[in-house]
Amino acid sequence: MLSNAAITPSTLSVKDLPWQILWNKDKCTLCGKCTAICPVNAIELGVFRKRIVRTSLDTGATQSSDHNIFYGVRQKTDPTYSCVGCAMCTLVCPNDAIIPARSDEADKLRFHVNRGGQPRTRGGRRNVPGSLLDQIKFIRISMLTDPALDAGRHEFELRTLLGRVLPPEENLKFVEENGWIPPVREIYPLIIGGMSFGALSPNMWEGLQMGVAYLNEELGMPVRISTGEGGCPPRLLRSRFLKYVILQIASGYFGWDEIIHSIPEMKVDPCAIEIKYGQGAKPGDGGLLMWHKVNSLIAAIRGVPSGISLPSPPTHQTQYSIEESVAKMIQSMYMAWGFRVPVYPKISGTSTALAVLNNLTRNPYAAGLAIDGEDGGTGAAYDVSMNHMGHPVASNIRDCYLNLIKIGMQNEIPLFAAGGVGKTGNLAANAAALIMLGASGVQVGKYIMEAAAGCLGSESDRCNICNIDLCPKGITSQDPRLYRRLDPEQVAQRVVDVFISFDIELKKIVAPLGRSTSLPIGMSDALGINDRAAADRLSIKYVV
Amino acid sequence: MDKKQYIISGKKDRYRLDSRVLEELIQDAVARGYRYLKIKAYGQHGIGGRLWKAGKEAIHIEIDGYTGQRTGSLGFPNTYIEIMGPASDDVGWLNAGAQIIVHGNASNGVANGMAQGKVYVGGSIGARGMTMTKHNPRFDPPELWALGSVGDYFGEFMAGGISVVCGFEAQTPDNILGYRPFVGMVGGKLFFRGSHGVFSQADAKLVSIEDDDWNWLIKNLKIFLESIKRPELFEKISYRKKWQLIIARSPQERLEGRSRSMQSFMDGIWEKELGKGGLIGDLTDINRSPIPIITTGDLRRFVPVWENRKYMAPCEAACPIGIPVHKRWGMIRDGRMDEAVDLALLYTPFPATVCGYLCSNPCMQACTRISDSMSPIDVTKLGQASINANLPELPPESGKKIAVIGGGPAGISVAWQLRMQGHKATVYDMAKRLGGKIASVIPDSRIPQEVFSTELERVEKVISHVHLQQRLDKKEMEQLREDFDFVVIAAGAYTPRTLPVPGKERMIAALDFLIQAKQGKAKPGKRVVIIGAGNVGCDVASEAHRLGAKEIMLIDVQEPASFGKERESAEAVGATFRWPCFTKEITEEGVMLTTGEIIPADTVIISIGDAPDIEFLPDDVTTERGFIVVNEHYQTTDAGIFAIGDVVKPGLLTDAIGAGRKAANAIIDIIDGKRPLGDTRRMIDRSRVSLEYFDPKYFNSGVTSFDDLDHYGSQCSSCGTCRDCGICVAVCPESAISRQEREKDDFEYIVDETKCIGCGFCAGACPSGIWNLVENDPFTGISGGMA
Repeated sequence: MLSNAAITPSTLSVKDLPWQILWNKDKCTLCGKCTAICPVNAIELGVFRKRIVRTSLDTGATQSSDHNIFYGVRQKTDPTYSCVGCAMCTLVCPNDAIIPARSDEADKLRFHVNRGGQPRTRGGRRNVPGSLLDQIKFIRISMLTDPALDAGRHEFELRTLLGRVLPPEENLKFVEENGWIPPVREIYPLIIGGMSFGALSPNMWEGLQMGVAYLNEELGMPVRISTGEGGCPPRLLRSRFLKYVILQIASGYFGWDEIIHSIPEMKVDPCAIEIKYGQGAKPGDGGLLMWHKVNSLIAAIRGVPSGISLPSPPTHQTQYSIEESVAKMIQSMYMAWGFRVPVYPKISGTSTALAVLNNLTRNPYAAGLAIDGEDGGTGAAYDVSMNHMGHPVASNIRDCYLNLIKIGMQNEIPLFAAGGVGKTGNLAANAAALIMLGASGVQVGKYIMEAAAGCLGSESDRCNICNIDLCPKGITSQDPRLYRRLDPEQVAQRVVDVFISFDIELKKIVAPLGRSTSLPIGMSDALGINDRAAADRLSIKYVV
Repeated sequence: MDKKQYIISGKKDRYRLDSRVLEELIQDAVARGYRYLKIKAYGQHGIGGRLWKAGKEAIHIEIDGYTGQRTGSLGFPNTYIEIMGPASDDVGWLNAGAQIIVHGNASNGVANGMAQGKVYVGGSIGARGMTMTKHNPRFDPPELWALGSVGDYFGEFMAGGISVVCGFEAQTPDNILGYRPFVGMVGGKLFFRGSHGVFSQADAKLVSIEDDDWNWLIKNLKIFLESIKRPELFEKISYRKKWQLIIARSPQERLEGRSRSMQSFMDGIWEKELGKGGLIGDLTDINRSPIPIITTGDLRRFVPVWENRKYMAPCEAACPIGIPVHKRWGMIRDGRMDEAVDLALLYTPFPATVCGYLCSNPCMQACTRISDSMSPIDVTKLGQASINANLPELPPESGKKIAVIGGGPAGISVAWQLRMQGHKATVYDMAKRLGGKIASVIPDSRIPQEVFSTELERVEKVISHVHLQQRLDKKEMEQLREDFDFVVIAAGAYTPRTLPVPGKERMIAALDFLIQAKQGKAKPGKRVVIIGAGNVGCDVASEAHRLGAKEIMLIDVQEPASFGKERESAEAVGATFRWPCFTKEITEEGVMLTTGEIIPADTVIISIGDAPDIEFLPDDVTTERGFIVVNEHYQTTDAGIFAIGDVVKPGLLTDAIGAGRKAANAIIDIIDGKRPLGDTRRMIDRSRVSLEYFDPKYFNSGVTSFDDLDHYGSQCSSCGTCRDCGICVAVCPESAISRQEREKDDFEYIVDETKCIGCGFCAGACPSGIWNLVENDPFTGISGGMA
């Protein structure tokens, strides 16, 4: 700051910021790449004055005080331009002369990111590192007690069912009475969860879709991907790849008229319809795609004029009770595809999940329930919603599963778990834990952004600027200057790599359990945790 | 040693011997020197293995009956086992050298873990044959031969050795290799004859049989067939074309892995189904191909803009006249001292009088240098030098006429500006000479008279139509309105304000006092109290002291608003300031306050401002509380009448001169048929200027070693106006910036966008804040490929 300017309550120094740019004058070659790449203009070329005092006590010596200047990289302290720690500067630096470092204490910036009374909004996950799922161990290792399976040698059918599985007698009754039984899909248990065309850049979206198509068509893995709420490109709707796609309908209903128009021209049915009632990252809050992200492309796919903000309200506008919403929405969506496509709701993790589940069990059309826990990611949300709202997914899924057991329906209505699966990189272990707690499969969003596209966001609040169209990797930006950094082909390749390696790891976990032909859904005797309270809460073994 | 067989039965009496007991009997026989054993087996485990006691001598074991699991397991190179019927599981398990012949089928696990030796099976074998086999380079590779077919999962984790499956009288002729063979195979090979199913392509591959391989096979096939006593089959199964060879893939080959590249999938499947451009090819033409992260041209997120002279320098913005002080220092830097001095006359008729002496210099108070605790460049030196400024040649008169009522600073300023632009201005004033308050009120101590009179002479050269000692009334005003295109009222404020308190007649108005003082007529008493401690009050204090007053006090109802030279002068003569003081009455003793206190005074002077005397003003011109109401161009509610200076609002000399200039510009715009806009430029953000280039020790308080104008010029940061230093050219890492000459001695710095990466170094380094890094225009590139 200017040396004689007055400070304000929000005047910050570099020390007060969450990230400090460490810059090495000796190594820096002043090439300008770091300042050119910084997504938030947190750094600039600075002119630095350097005083050189030369003194001596020798007789007749002259004392001098001169000044030189030198150039270097200076970090801005204006909260608008505060470093987000993405380290793109480090990435482009030819001399390793620059790197952001996390502050050694809680930053002061957090007290000032509410200029004009506007609380902080951001993308990413809640800023709490670590995961309970990581603490769960698989303690049942069958070496001699069950046929010991070899993950590398045995063939595994790691598939799960999405759809309502009626008991045989009821199936017969249904066929007799209605000539219809609920559709069921056999799919891979790792699903790419809903991230909209708009929240993601076109290159990212295409990369994910292409990777999924490759997995299906080249490797025979029935992987499915949810569109999120933002419609679906007309070409995809009219292609055979649609069967790999779960179409999401949410409170904004964006893109649904385009979907409806394309129904007569669809070559195949979509995998399923996901009705989004809530998002784990920001429960009870809606979405808002800011007008500047709504370019002509997004607008075309969402079926809106460009340049307007697109709000998705926190709730569906015409639904007033569980019974009504579930019945009404499920019926409507089933009808669209002649009752051939499973329809299920997705809710954010909540202490009321059981109420929803109980309602679904009474509705023979309900194809499943997806629960998105508090560790889920988002493209944009209020910091307070992200950090403080929501329910952990593990206990939510567990409660639901145990309740299904209680009423004898655990094989009839699949549960899907989402929210922080693979948060610390342990995707297969987290997925397996959730499956053994009772989930039929898991959904991932943020993980795939990190693994398939190099998302830099972290729970130490690194980057997390998905909401302002400045994604330095081009994952969540609609600016071609940014999203062209991302090659859809390479994203697709990474998606493939992720699923193959996940598959191997999942086999490594389930093989010693002696399972090869069905997922160990609810096989909680295989789980242990060294936390007594968590063990009690999840009804799994306490192991130390 | 006799070749006669030593017979050991697996039964004693009616009881089957334990595997342990039979093993002891066999080991004992070998120890006793028997080398030909015949075992009657009853399912005992591991017969024939571990027979090292014979050393290098061969042990021949013939097994009749039902041999148990793991026959020949942990076998030694000296051991030759012949099983005369079929074999149970794991024949040759962990075989380390034994040769084992099975005259029949063998069940699961044949040769599992075998490292040396041979297993010859005269029939088919069960699942998991030849699994986990090794080849230790110290020994020959292990071999497994089967005449028929092999069961499922053959060759899993096979790490070495040779197996041969002849496919003759195969149990599963459609697929003699069984289900999923060679998973995890990393070494070894398999010769086979017959049809096969799917085998692990990731681990193994089919290759053609080279001559060396074929020669080995033929040679050993004969031995095998002889061993299993079927030599007659040689002709039948030695047709080379029927044989195939599978070998393990090398680690390098495994890495190549996947069958179809993603690019091939995208081209051949993805875009074939969706159409060119993939998912959204039908919705947009925008090029989505990959780009590098450091980009140039259209693909830059930010671009530098050379914003020369776009913003006002803080000095210029702070000057009520709008004199671009930094521009004058720039001319001095360029060695154009005369132009720098002359330039002032474009803005003010009194550059020396005002800038050099009377002005409180808001330009210096606004100087960017202060924000880095450096003293501002002293403009008074430049102001004083302007006494010698040369008038430009005046343009011919346009025919437009403007009447200016009042020949003070405001009136002279507007007339001066109008005449400079070629319009005739006629000035009317009540006084005997031009100059208004500068001439009549401001103490001589503050302005050397020769400076003022020199500038006044210059004024008179420009404004030739002056009518002095003219007091206007309403009628004459109406006439002026008729006769002139515009009338500018600059009559000043000459009616002193006073306080409605008892004894007010004892007070002298500051204005009157100062006029008399300047004429040498004022005679203040020893004790002077001045009510109103503003700058005029300070002038009064100084003059009172000059004229003999000893104790001078200025009182005010609030903290005095006086500042600058006036205040300093008053303090220098020992005047004291006191507030808050509310005057109740003026008595013979002095000033009585509302508190009852009396401040003794011989002379009381009231200095709370002056009001305009505008009785001549037409009724349709709006006033408010005695002042004329104007818009931002000093236009009154009559579009043809302008009002400036103290008739509008009391202010500084520079306010009056600036108002004159602005009103003149507005009038000129209207004459030119334009809507007057005034100066729309904003002041530059000081933080854009880099003061680090300047040595703070220069001009710090007390340091006066640089008092010549050239040095001042060098230390001006030239905010917002390019000083043509070329630092940006030097600092640009991509050499994208160059200097271009333009017409009329002007220049421009331009950016080559094919080189620029938008790093903003130019903006960071610019000493004057000219370069700005702005967001690039929204990207519309339909084609723009790699930058």
